[in-house]
Amino acid sequence: MTQTSVPTMTAAARAVGLTKTYGKGATEVHALRGVDLEIRSGAFTAIMGPSGSGKSTLMHCLAGLDRPTTGEVTVAGQPLQNLNDDQLTIFRRENIGFVFQAFNLLPMLTAGQNIQLPLELAGRRVTDETRARAQMIADTLGIGQRLGHKPSELSGGQQQRVAIARALVTQPAILFADEPTGNLDSETSAEVLDHLRRSVRELGQTVVMVTHEASAAAYADEIVTVKDGTLEIRQSEGVTR
Amino acid sequence: MRTVLFASLRTYARRYAAAVVAVIAAVALIVVTNALTSATKSGLFAGIDAPFRNAVGAVDLPSDEITDKYVEKGGWALALSMQPVRTDETMLGQDIMVGAVSTEKRWQWQDLEEGRFPTRAGEAVVDANAAKTNKIAIGDTLKVGSGTTAVETTVVGLVDAPSMWSSPIYVTWPEMQGWGDQYVQAVMTAGAGAEADNWLNADDYLTELQTQLNKEVNVVAYMVLIFAFIALFVSVLVITNTFSILFAQRMRDFALLRAMGATKRQVLRSVRREALALGVIASLLGLVVGVLLGWGIVALVRQLAETAPLGAVAFEWPWLVGAFVLGVLTTLVASWLPTRRLMRLSPLAALRPQEGFDVRGAGMFRIGLGLVVALAGIATIFVAVGWDDAQTGMLIVLLGCGVTFIGVMLLGPALVPGLVRLAGSALAVVAGSPAKLAAANAGRNPKRTAATAASLLVGVTLTTGVLTGMATIRGATLDEMAKQHPIDIALQAESKPLPDSVAGDAKAVPGVADAVAVPGAMASVRTDGKPVPLPVVAPPGGDIALEDLSVKPGTMVISPAAASAFVEDEFEATGEKVELVVGDRTATVTLDVREIDGAPQISAATLRTLTEDPQTYAVWVRADAGADPEDLAGALGVLAPDAELTNGKGQRAWVELQLDVFTWAVIGLLAISVLIALAGIANTLGLSVLERGREHALLRALGLTRRQLRRTLAAEAVLLSAVAALVGTALGVFFAWGGSEILVGDMLPDATFELPVLQLVAVVVAAGLAGLVSCVAPSKRATKVSPAEGLALD
Repeated sequence: MTQTSVPTMTAAARAVGLTKTYGKGATEVHALRGVDLEIRSGAFTAIMGPSGSGKSTLMHCLAGLDRPTTGEVTVAGQPLQNLNDDQLTIFRRENIGFVFQAFNLLPMLTAGQNIQLPLELAGRRVTDETRARAQMIADTLGIGQRLGHKPSELSGGQQQRVAIARALVTQPAILFADEPTGNLDSETSAEVLDHLRRSVRELGQTVVMVTHEASAAAYADEIVTVKDGTLEIRQSEGVTR
Repeated sequence: MRTVLFASLRTYARRYAAAVVAVIAAVALIVVTNALTSATKSGLFAGIDAPFRNAVGAVDLPSDEITDKYVEKGGWALALSMQPVRTDETMLGQDIMVGAVSTEKRWQWQDLEEGRFPTRAGEAVVDANAAKTNKIAIGDTLKVGSGTTAVETTVVGLVDAPSMWSSPIYVTWPEMQGWGDQYVQAVMTAGAGAEADNWLNADDYLTELQTQLNKEVNVVAYMVLIFAFIALFVSVLVITNTFSILFAQRMRDFALLRAMGATKRQVLRSVRREALALGVIASLLGLVVGVLLGWGIVALVRQLAETAPLGAVAFEWPWLVGAFVLGVLTTLVASWLPTRRLMRLSPLAALRPQEGFDVRGAGMFRIGLGLVVALAGIATIFVAVGWDDAQTGMLIVLLGCGVTFIGVMLLGPALVPGLVRLAGSALAVVAGSPAKLAAANAGRNPKRTAATAASLLVGVTLTTGVLTGMATIRGATLDEMAKQHPIDIALQAESKPLPDSVAGDAKAVPGVADAVAVPGAMASVRTDGKPVPLPVVAPPGGDIALEDLSVKPGTMVISPAAASAFVEDEFEATGEKVELVVGDRTATVTLDVREIDGAPQISAATLRTLTEDPQTYAVWVRADAGADPEDLAGALGVLAPDAELTNGKGQRAWVELQLDVFTWAVIGLLAISVLIALAGIANTLGLSVLERGREHALLRALGLTRRQLRRTLAAEAVLLSAVAALVGTALGVFFAWGGSEILVGDMLPDATFELPVLQLVAVVVAAGLAGLVSCVAPSKRATKVSPAEGLALD
């Protein structure tokens, strides 16, 4: 599989020869078996595959949450294998945003505090500017009025929108979304996916979404399908929605 | 359900660590107490019958007349006296216990190791151990006592004696008579002359004596048991909390069991059996630990202090069984409430997504009740402070303290998280977002946070209460001691003046800051009969003593003991006038009778009217603050062998030491409860870490470094323990205030409430540091998990 057609300059992330093996001997499981992949900057990429296909492992490796057994990952021009745990953590903090399926928000913090959290973790001062930006993102996502509430007082869709807002607030190089609509009904799912799309269109945000739902993947610019630890098809399609 | 029971025990064994530690500590404390008391008893009782071997009967604590009567009839007194003892060169000690040895074979109950028993007055035997440490050998001459009643005696034998009756040196009975201060424990009779009311035959007497000693040792044992009960109470808090958290985490398991067809009773029974198994295992471990520790401590003490009266350890069944039963009961009681909550569990809970745990704070009812109870307790303390009768007042204060404490515990779920948030926002200024996260974490489950803090609160409240109370008592007692013994060391001439060189020589002794020759004269008091000789001194001004001792002209300050020689009632003699005579001069002085050291004191003016040529009748010494009083007394005593030496500094130091030993013994015993509470904090934190695996992974994914995660957990532990320590200190100080107000009013009128600020700060800091230590293991576990692993956790 070659991607010579995609210029290096526009790659937000690149993986070369990724393998990931769990366990040893008889219990050895190959989650990834040599994956090469480039994520285009400013695009909405969907990683699809049935459960157990290795799509989550692929995302974890791309996002620096896990280390591949062999192979290299470069995100925003930074090769990740050279970073130690602390450097990797700080790299994530500055360059990568996350939206997970569930347990996205810290239950003891309000929505607003959850959104500000990545800035605080980075030790950045909460200035009027950052606050205005957080408010702007929250307003865009339609949760501007709910920032004082605890996650338990928000609906599932609202919680996911808070998570998206939190991911966007640091202006990351890539936003990874892991089954962001897995717990939502179809109407709310559509809303959340719409927000993700708008962040790509309007803010030029690079988004990588892991999903097993074809309907969700349909929102993406590019779809990568993982099966048994390898990329089976790589298909680009123009989405007109 | 048995499969479930065993599987649960296996799976969750590690999570019960704190509960097990708590029970082990409390049970072991009881067993160790039994080891120490049994060793003390067997040590005390070993050879207790030795002096009575040839006695027909005995009278306990006889009067002087009865003693004399029986001794004349061939009986023997078990007598003791405290006297200074010195060799030609050195002072061996100011207050050495001197026993009596008989010249008659049948009352020579000591075991002779070397030499022979005395055959006449002027011969003595010395305890073999004491002889070895003081380098005394047969043939040495010792001077026992001071002044005119001192006796010179030659060591003719070395002996060993059962610890109950042992003293370092024994002189003959006639020589003891001059001292007039001997304490007679019993007089043994050679015949069955039951002339004294409380005469008992020897066997009955020994039984009586053992019963009495048993009681005294048991009183100490029961005091220690109070601390064991405190430890058990703290254990209940820790175990209840552990069960609550564990069951909350296992709610889905239980619901699944219910969904599969287990009845409520089956689930409940399984859980209760789990608690029972835990209690039994932990209590058995506690017995083992206690037995080993008990043996170890007794062996260690005997190794370190050969003369300590510790015999063999003999564990008693009632104690062991009692400790075991208490351990099991504690566990069962503690698990009762958390298991009851399981009854409300519906099978559907298994199917619902994990929706967090019982995170409700205190209800309005609980807060209201807590407020009412706390206020009632505080009001009780204020009422008690004004009580007339100190003893009743003290009981009411104790009651008020207990009620207030219960009120604070009820308020805990509202109070503790609020304070943690407050402290957290203060800490966040320096520690940043980890502190903020920690404060939020501590506030998310108010009941759990409060219960964890409560266990530490018990120990800290008691510790700070004791420290503060003791500071007040200590201050008052030491002030009183300084008033009674204002002179560090005094050498007092008894019949003839001291050589002029003594003051100068004393100044040269290392550790002496200043020495002053005190002028005086040998006067006599004119009475109806024979004049009573009385050496008098005129205290100098200046800072030689702790307070200015100068006497008003025309007054004589005199101790009751000295006054008793010429007044009818020495305690009513203040204000009486007596005439002092020196040669052909006289002076009339008004008596001021109170406890003073040394000779009667008159003013310099009065002394001038009595004599033109005062001589040195005393030398007063002010010691350096750090000087050892005993060493100093030894060195100074040699300068004037005939003078009576009063060691005020030594007496003050001794009282101070007693107060310190008592305080630290209590703190040491309370420390066990504090340690149990800290194990509880570590456990709560560890279980919370397990619960928050996903959250931690999320935080790590969002960019929280390992170190920041560690700091978050550390901050949570420190905030929790610091808040518990601060609330505990506030309560402890308040309780101690209540207690000391009553003491101040009654028993120690001069006492003022004292706050041992440094010690209190040390307690809070120590609690904070201990919190830090308690979070080491949980935070290690939390940071080991990689973000990707953590996100996959359920």
